Amino acid sequence: MIETFKHIQSSLEAMPHLLRLGRLFSETVLIEIDGNEFYLSFEKGHLVSVVEGPSRKTPWRFALRTDADSLNKFWQARPEPGFHDIFGLVKIGRGRIDGDILSLVKNLRFFKEVLTLARAKEELVA
Amino acid sequence: MTIEPITGRYVTVTIDGAPRRIYFEEAGQGRPVLCLHTAGADTRQWRHLMNDAGITASNRLIAFDMPWHGKSLPPEGFETQEYLLTTEAYIETVLAVIDGLGLDRPVLAGCSMGGRIALQLAALHADKFSGFIAIEASDFQPAWYDIDWFHRPDAHGGEMGAALVSANISPYAPKTERWNTLWMFMQSGPGVFRGDLSFYTRDDSLIPRLPTIDTRRTPVHIIVGAYDLTCTPEDAARTAKAIPGATLAVMGELGHFPMSEHPEGFRPFFVEALEKMPRPTAKAA
Repeated sequence: MIETFKHIQSSLEAMPHLLRLGRLFSETVLIEIDGNEFYLSFEKGHLVSVVEGPSRKTPWRFALRTDADSLNKFWQARPEPGFHDIFGLVKIGRGRIDGDILSLVKNLRFFKEVLTLARAKEELVA
Repeated sequence: MTIEPITGRYVTVTIDGAPRRIYFEEAGQGRPVLCLHTAGADTRQWRHLMNDAGITASNRLIAFDMPWHGKSLPPEGFETQEYLLTTEAYIETVLAVIDGLGLDRPVLAGCSMGGRIALQLAALHADKFSGFIAIEASDFQPAWYDIDWFHRPDAHGGEMGAALVSANISPYAPKTERWNTLWMFMQSGPGVFRGDLSFYTRDDSLIPRLPTIDTRRTPVHIIVGAYDLTCTPEDAARTAKAIPGATLAVMGELGHFPMSEHPEGFRPFFVEALEKMPRPTAKAA
């Protein structure tokens, strides 16, 4: 999984419109997959580090908690209903979002498009 | 160069005792079909169907921007008002437009909150219509988000609203139409999406009215997309079941804005819906 996030990290650098959208976003996001923690630290829209947990001393702004099977489905080119969006994962009971949700919502397009950088098809699906 | 057959005009009607200048578009001839846009958007959602000669050959499609939306201005004094749409105001607006345009028992086709009000009108004012096509429509949906997110001084409500509703668009939607659909939300006036959602997520008065709808007089056909997280196929099925005689179609590859996000995918479902609606007598415009 860490390789996927590293792929997102490098792909983001080639997406000037996303770097522009995220220019005010400097936060750490926790992605928890089957209980395994991954801390994604953003600085002005750049994903500057991806660190695998566990960690009790890394502060984070908001968290997406899900499972590997759901994320693999999320990253299909055309996911099945419910797996096509992070709020879909929440809706079907395969994901949970907590923490400062307003921070997520203010940067929602940015964050959702960053996550879909790992999607199988090249075309972005927000 | 292409000049589309859609024409846009304005009609002034009285709503809540005051004049409102309403923008409307129309295309086609024959049976009138009044089309209602979703929350936070406008008439442009219907442009693909209005440009579809196969549909407009025998159907006169009319769509209007609700007050506060698109090219319809908010009421005088809006600058000190909090926009909160209500069932009563929505019904009054639709009926005022029908009267203002002189429409004789149109088919009413509404999407999302437009579908919700279509079902309210089916229960309360069926005599004004010949049938109802309720798209992404259900009895009631409490919000799975905080509607106040979309109207605050420190962030752009339209951009946040677009990012949220993108969750309701199918991955099968063509990229261009996905973004055209989202653009309308981005353009929505401050507080308008929130005010629409207040109606959509807080008013559950439709639930006890559903069994009173008489589909023998005015058929009700509900259409829902599998990728709609707001009004899911389960929500639509529950709603259809509560209306004696209502029919339901599930679109496997579409979302919450089918006529806008994926017009080609939606077309056969809309044609099927129109076929279920009665043809008016010759006196219809």
